[in-house]
Amino acid sequence: MSRLLSTARISCTAMIFAVASYGCVGDDQTDESRATVAELNSPDIRPAGHYGYGLDASPEEIAGWDIDIRPDGVGLPEGSGTAEGGEMLYENQCASCHGSFGEGVGRYPVLSGGEGSLTEARPEKTVGSFWPYASTLWDYIHRAMPYTEPESLNDDEVYAITAYVLYLNDLVDYDFELTRHNLTGIEMPNRDGFYVDDRPDVNNELCMQNCKELGSVRITSEPEAAESDSDPADKAVVVPTLAGETVYQQACALCHAAGLADAPVPGNNEDWSERLTLGRNVMLENVLSGKGAMPPQGGLARFSDADVAAAVDFMLSQSRN
Amino acid sequence: MLRKVAAEGEKLPVEERRKFLKNGLVLAGGVLAGAGIGGRTDAAENGLPPNVPSWTRSLGPGVLSNPYGKPSRFESHIVRRNVPWLTADRIASVSFTPLAELDGIITPSSLVFERYHAGVPDIDPEQHRLMIHGMVGRPVILTLDDLRRMPATSMIRFLECPANGGMEWRGAQMDALQFTHGMLSCCEWTGVLLSTLLQEVGLQKDAAWVLAEGADGSHMSRSVPLEKAMDDALVVYAQNGEPLRPEQGYPLRLINPGWEGNTSVKWLRRLEVGDKAWYHREETSKYTDLLADGRARKFSFVQECNSVITFPCPEKPLREKGRYEIRGLAWSGKGKISRVDLSFDGGINWRPARLNGLVLSKALTRFSLEWDWDGGPALLQSRAVDETGYVQPTYEQLRSARGTSSIYHKNAIHTWRLHEDGKLTNVQIA
Ligand code: HEC
Ligand code: HEC
Repeated sequence: MSRLLSTARISCTAMIFAVASYGCVGDDQTDESRATVAELNSPDIRPAGHYGYGLDASPEEIAGWDIDIRPDGVGLPEGSGTAEGGEMLYENQCASCHGSFGEGVGRYPVLSGGEGSLTEARPEKTVGSFWPYASTLWDYIHRAMPYTEPESLNDDEVYAITAYVLYLNDLVDYDFELTRHNLTGIEMPNRDGFYVDDRPDVNNELCMQNCKELGSVRITSEPEAAESDSDPADKAVVVPTLAGETVYQQACALCHAAGLADAPVPGNNEDWSERLTLGRNVMLENVLSGKGAMPPQGGLARFSDADVAAAVDFMLSQSRN
Repeated sequence: MLRKVAAEGEKLPVEERRKFLKNGLVLAGGVLAGAGIGGRTDAAENGLPPNVPSWTRSLGPGVLSNPYGKPSRFESHIVRRNVPWLTADRIASVSFTPLAELDGIITPSSLVFERYHAGVPDIDPEQHRLMIHGMVGRPVILTLDDLRRMPATSMIRFLECPANGGMEWRGAQMDALQFTHGMLSCCEWTGVLLSTLLQEVGLQKDAAWVLAEGADGSHMSRSVPLEKAMDDALVVYAQNGEPLRPEQGYPLRLINPGWEGNTSVKWLRRLEVGDKAWYHREETSKYTDLLADGRARKFSFVQECNSVITFPCPEKPLREKGRYEIRGLAWSGKGKISRVDLSFDGGINWRPARLNGLVLSKALTRFSLEWDWDGGPALLQSRAVDETGYVQPTYEQLRSARGTSSIYHKNAIHTWRLHEDGKLTNVQIA
């Protein structure tokens, strides 16, 4: 994006502006001194630079963090990829959670299907049935997926996987090549399905007496198994504080709790009996260096070896009983 | 003295003597007075009047036993809780504030509800930067020190996930206040007004939106209209007087007062000014409100006026008939609460409640009303009104306007069913 001014800091107007607008707002205090959007948008107003703190951000620094993509294509990098080329990438890096056809594994999000379901009692909101823009898919896969290793895909891989997810939604052909130039042209089925917030959309009255007919009040729903002698605190799960369990929850549970890719489930003796003969230390080594579908350290490099060891011990403590 | 007490003990019957010795050095007269009178013997064991408990007769730990402090061990049940079936795992998940256990309007930092999409990043503040760029005059990179040098503003504001109570659109489902309303907290937030930062960098003509982005693995991103950015949005480094908690965005987050919590991006690393919205995942796939006709509201930022009775509730039943102070919380993303009414008959008749303590804009507000419970069944409701005159709606009104698939922004009048045994359950009524 072009910059009007790169280094100019103070002009005469800016000086006045800066002084006039100096001040801060406390709770519920009026603040006529603050500039309005219109004022700030005025071409006469230049950066105030009143404090001058911080360093100028260089184009290279900005480029490293500026990852956002807009529906008009602003932000998309050069690159390309076909749905066909995305298939294996998707199968290896996405299907364990989202399913080979985008159907979702367990409670992980469903990425395909649901066409025409938006008015049904149980709408299925997916990329194909609900998302208004393909740019959002590129942006999100690049920014946040795969879940355990965000920002690990290169631009061509993101193009290819995006194309493949679109293909899973019957929006492009198998041999379709997605590029920076044709992405904005992809017309998503629910593109026009959104409108800007127009609430308030309801209007209750401030009635005080005889607001309903006496005897007309009836209970329409209650939680299942709502018995007045049940104590909700008993049913609730208390968040654990054990270090090993904390690491397990953050780094390991997403595969191990559900047994994704045949990861052994803590507490399931069948999954563990054979492995236990390896001994704790060998298993720990295997976790640190990766084994089968398990990435090194379970995919989270920020944990120390000791943290991973604590998590292994926690898992084993669950599995011996 | 010792010997005198021991001598008194000798005179007691065996059973009483056991209790006497167990209680140690209490005044013999006290034991005698307590002995044999029904429940009073328990009182003696526990050191209730006229006896004196052990902690009154000994020393406790000294200063710095808990350098950062923690609650009494007797309050260990006051914790955030989650609903395991709501999400696939605990990393992109939510935990709920135990509203039934809290008084006043400030939520302790430790109990503010959690909502993340890639877990809590472990950010070194020395390495953390806020980048402001895009349609600005001077793109900058700021450190936390830079931000702390700027004029500081503090404000008490609620924070609520727009999915709070979203599980109840199709019917009553959760049987605890913690789960029906617990994605709600209120803190004093301290930081720099976003307007100050934008004035500092200067805006280009046509600037209209600001993208806020987090430094966590999800790179959480939301488009915020410039009007809000220039109004009361705050770039926050402290909550309730202490540095932000990691769960709340340490070391830096955005707070958009009164708006859906998701826009108050945590672990804030980047603000980009642009002329259009970005339509990212959290403002298309999520945080849009699907209506009955299959279309969806977008950019539905404001958390409309809402309220709930926090005592009694399923976690805090009534013990016996008699007089009680019924208490609750009301809040509105559009300003101050102007009134709250309570009903005990399922909305046939209403009585005005009192607003207690601070009544602040976009903050939790306490209300209460004394009520005599006759021991019979009752349907308890609260209905709040904000300073714009908006009256909290019924389920019927919300459903007829929106259907039941919205997920977000459910602010219906809530009903607790009071049973004759004093317990309460969550119900919906017509
Ligand atoms: C280990 C499990 C896992 C893997 C592997 C994974 N994801 Fe995800 N994905 C998730 C979770 C969890 C979410 C929801 C995150 C949230 O709630 O913020 C998600 C969300 C998504 C969404 C948004 C869904 C919606 O409806 O909003 C898309 C699109 C997506 N993932 C694509 C991918 C792609 C493409 C890959 C492979 C490159 C991938 N995911 C790999 C777990 C995973
Ligand atoms: C991406 C999914 C995934 C994650 C994340 C993950 N694991 Fe695993 N884990 C697996 C799979 C799959 C196996 C089975 C590997 C095999 O036997 O081929 C496994 C096996 C193991 C074993 C048995 C090793 C052996 O030698 O048989 C242990 C112990 C273990 N994991 C611990 C952990 C710990 C601790 C973490 C977190 C730090 C973790 N895992 C994270 C998928 C995962």
